[in-house]
Amino acid sequence: MKKNKVIKFFTESNKAFTLISILLGFIIGGLILWFSGFNPFTAYAVIFKGIFSKPSYISYTIIRSTPLILTGLSVAFAFRTGLFNIGAEGQYIVGSAAAALAGYYIQLPAVLLIPLVILIAIISSGIWGAIAGLLKSKYGIHEVISTIMLNWIALYLQNYITKIKGFAKPNSEASKFIQDAANITFFDNWKHSDKGMAWLNNHHFAKEILRTPANFGIIIAILCALLVWIILNKTTLGYKLRAVGFNKEAARYAGINIEKYMIISMFISGSLAGLAGALHVMGVSHNITNLSAMEGYGFDGIAVALIGSNAAFGTIWSGFLFGALKYGGTKIQPFMGAPSEIISIMIGTIVFFISMPNIIKISLNKILLKNKKRGEDVK
Amino acid sequence: MLNNIALIIGVTLMYSTPLIFTALGGVVSEKSGVVNIGLEGMMVIGAFIAATVGYYSGNPWLAFLAGGLAGAFFGLLHAIASVSFSADQVVSGIAINFLGPGVALFLSRIFFNGATMTKSIDLDNKMPRLLNGIFHKDSFLYYILDNQYATTYIAFILVFVIWYILKKTVLGLRLKAVGEHPAAADTLGINVFKIRYLAVITSGFLAGLGGATLSISVVSNFRPTLVSGQGFIALAAMIFGKWKPVGAMLACLLFGLAQGLVVFLGQFQIQIPSQFLNMLPYILTLIVLVAFVGKSVAPLADGIPYEKEQKH
Amino acid sequence: MKKSFIIIMMLTLMLTLLLVGCGKKAAPAQKTDSVKPIKIALVTDVGGVNDQSFNQSAWEGLSRAQKDLGIKASYIESKQDADYMPNLETLYDSKNDLIWGIGFKMADRVLEAAKQNPNQKYAIIDFSYGDKTPSNVIGVLFKEQEASFLVGYIAGKMSKTGKIGFVGGMDVPVIHRFQYGFDAGVLYANPKAKIYEQYAESFTDAAKGKAIANQMYKNGADIVFHAAGGVGDGVIEAAKEKNLWAIGVDRDQSDLAPNNVLTSAMKRVDNAIYDVAKKMKNGEFDGGKTLTYGLKDGGVDIAPTTKKHVPQSILDEVSKIKADIISGKITTPSSKDAFNKWKKNYLK
Repeated sequence: MKKNKVIKFFTESNKAFTLISILLGFIIGGLILWFSGFNPFTAYAVIFKGIFSKPSYISYTIIRSTPLILTGLSVAFAFRTGLFNIGAEGQYIVGSAAAALAGYYIQLPAVLLIPLVILIAIISSGIWGAIAGLLKSKYGIHEVISTIMLNWIALYLQNYITKIKGFAKPNSEASKFIQDAANITFFDNWKHSDKGMAWLNNHHFAKEILRTPANFGIIIAILCALLVWIILNKTTLGYKLRAVGFNKEAARYAGINIEKYMIISMFISGSLAGLAGALHVMGVSHNITNLSAMEGYGFDGIAVALIGSNAAFGTIWSGFLFGALKYGGTKIQPFMGAPSEIISIMIGTIVFFISMPNIIKISLNKILLKNKKRGEDVK
Repeated sequence: MLNNIALIIGVTLMYSTPLIFTALGGVVSEKSGVVNIGLEGMMVIGAFIAATVGYYSGNPWLAFLAGGLAGAFFGLLHAIASVSFSADQVVSGIAINFLGPGVALFLSRIFFNGATMTKSIDLDNKMPRLLNGIFHKDSFLYYILDNQYATTYIAFILVFVIWYILKKTVLGLRLKAVGEHPAAADTLGINVFKIRYLAVITSGFLAGLGGATLSISVVSNFRPTLVSGQGFIALAAMIFGKWKPVGAMLACLLFGLAQGLVVFLGQFQIQIPSQFLNMLPYILTLIVLVAFVGKSVAPLADGIPYEKEQKH
Repeated sequence: MKKSFIIIMMLTLMLTLLLVGCGKKAAPAQKTDSVKPIKIALVTDVGGVNDQSFNQSAWEGLSRAQKDLGIKASYIESKQDADYMPNLETLYDSKNDLIWGIGFKMADRVLEAAKQNPNQKYAIIDFSYGDKTPSNVIGVLFKEQEASFLVGYIAGKMSKTGKIGFVGGMDVPVIHRFQYGFDAGVLYANPKAKIYEQYAESFTDAAKGKAIANQMYKNGADIVFHAAGGVGDGVIEAAKEKNLWAIGVDRDQSDLAPNNVLTSAMKRVDNAIYDVAKKMKNGEFDGGKTLTYGLKDGGVDIAPTTKKHVPQSILDEVSKIKADIISGKITTPSSKDAFNKWKKNYLK
């Protein structure tokens, strides 16, 4: 009886399977390291220490995870409503460019400016996403094509924006910084002032944290996850969105205007990705730069969403896992000379196993079936 | 002017060849009902392996084949996950997109003494340029076909071959049956698993050839940024072409043509900022979709894992 | 739900114990030398340390310093722009005497780190903070225009058609220095030369580089210079196929097409890094300044393989011009405005 429960847990529980996949990712990554002459335990110890051994490391892990959680939520939200948003990348770019522009040009006190900048970023990236929704609902154009195209258009658009006269920083390929009033990094001015530095020198822990561009972003990201959960599970809007995602024809039959809801879904999805970009600009980079290639937040967001089973809270955890691997992974090269590509391989392996939640069930069935057959043969 | 047009056509052919291979790969897989979003990763590994084998063996055909096989190997992984273990196909495709570049760079460091860029292959050891030196210099066809590699011709031949297989052969019918109504196909005695395995592995093979085209025809070496999203463009082209080989080819040609126009217009001192000029291929794609192509419908069972016990 | 939670906790705990246990084992016993060597480390940009370009060159310079000067060298690679800041922090934590940021993309991040850690020395390649350089930072610039001028001169002399091409990656200041130095060099050799210039708006799209170069060759150019990273692979490939000339950039790119790379405008990031390390060894640090490396100090040069294809007579002229640039007799423009002024002075 008990044994059955354990088997049931591992074959039917999503969470357990995710954990097993992560473990498998680590094991396979470790084996590859071992075969190429590196001690996997040392490697994992380096990564682990590189993430947890200092408050500033933990802070960096959180900072790296924040945009991934949001792009993950963006992709997950679209998935739940039956759309595949490969365009989180472009929506992220539009959000960050909009935030950089608004944060630089609009003159207002911080209490008003910060929400306004976020609002502008959310709306512009939301519209960027909604374009794909509109193209799909009005012209039947698959969102995979339109979002891929919109990603590239966004990239060139940002490169144009960073060159606008007055906004571009001379002799550089970056834009000017946003104003202090739009800055959401914790105590950014104070911590660089003489007074702040004197105080921090006596408060080690706070100093460690504030060494990093720790900012309000993570709080907003978690609130967004909560919001997404509420929208999807507790509102009529969410009910209708999910209905469209679950079965379009049934939803139409039930009188839901699926065209409208597709656009709404892509708007929300786009604005989540755009928020990631905006928070990165407001809290970490404070400006935008010329992009010579995609940064990959949107594509990583797809993996984050999938590891998190497209659930709002699952995405938080997988965002943290992803951010931690990305941040901790940079350290295995300087500390032990192992190639950092191993992190991509590990993430790939984890996602690969997560794609097959039935693998254990099916393998078990096959083994059981074989044993049964063998038993019958003996008879 | 005529020669300019010829040059634009030449650029179009060069640009679209890798995309055509890869988009065909997408068509084959999705016709059988397996979504293949891992085309990008398969292209990267194909490009790397082809450049490596080409450099060490000096034999372009071996390199080309090896690139395809490397893609096919990742196709096999995708097939194991999506066919045998009824995986969420989008998810395992995304996994391939992480694994492909990861493995390619990891191996590159082993084969090229720590470098992530392979060494250059001599012109003589690249794919043959079939119609070189035949046309008079400055003639129309010269600008189109001179310096076009064998890969370009193979791509178009493959479009025809795959069109033929899908349209006229039993195998093609079975493939489509499996992609539209797997349960029905099963009751008719078609081995759904086998067909899907075949299709997904072939798909990886073709995407690998697409990557190989980049590294041993377009240029002669691999570097991590070589593919940069072309797998996704091919994916878009496949959907654009309504999951049909000829349609996908036309979409790739359209995209290549737009890039040719960007290069052509870029030589003049026009008043459009170059960032906007470079958006052209992507905007043009959207406009053509809206104006002429419209709704695209995937094979019915595309993306749905097939399980034997399942009752419909 | 409860059960799954317990199992999650157990697995995490197991993993943690495993890792911590191993971590202890893994910590190597540090040898304590009587004299502590100077520690210098660098953060690569997203190209990575084996990019066959300036990141690699930087690391080669640091490795050479390790061998010759007995400093201790290390590096950390960045995969995304977002890695720069944490990577600088990682190197700060491992107590380096000097931390290099390789590439102008890191400019704002290095400045932030330097302000935050006034006792830590930093240096950056390809960027100058001008008057605002903090006293713990060195900016390092290269006179790319000088090497470009020389390769431009060679191109101007070697071109049979009098038509020459330039392919740029993205329209940014570093690339402008290559472009206008090259243009000036070409015109200095042949005032009637026609120069085609085009930007690919990318550093990765090799096919676009090939297409642009093919177009230039079609229009009659017989030599094309590129400053375009991965796009340049396509430019060199086009030269190979057409059996015409291409000119490489950053390093000696002759290996990509030995018969078709005429010369390369080399940027010796390695020499600059080595030089700064050597000064540090002697207790010098030019904090608050921008160091500029040009032909004079071996910061830029033309490739040693140039003599393979360029006749001695032209090489002799090049050496003379090189001496004139070093002595200041010939100036080389680094921007559009400077180029227009230069034209007025030199081309009457």
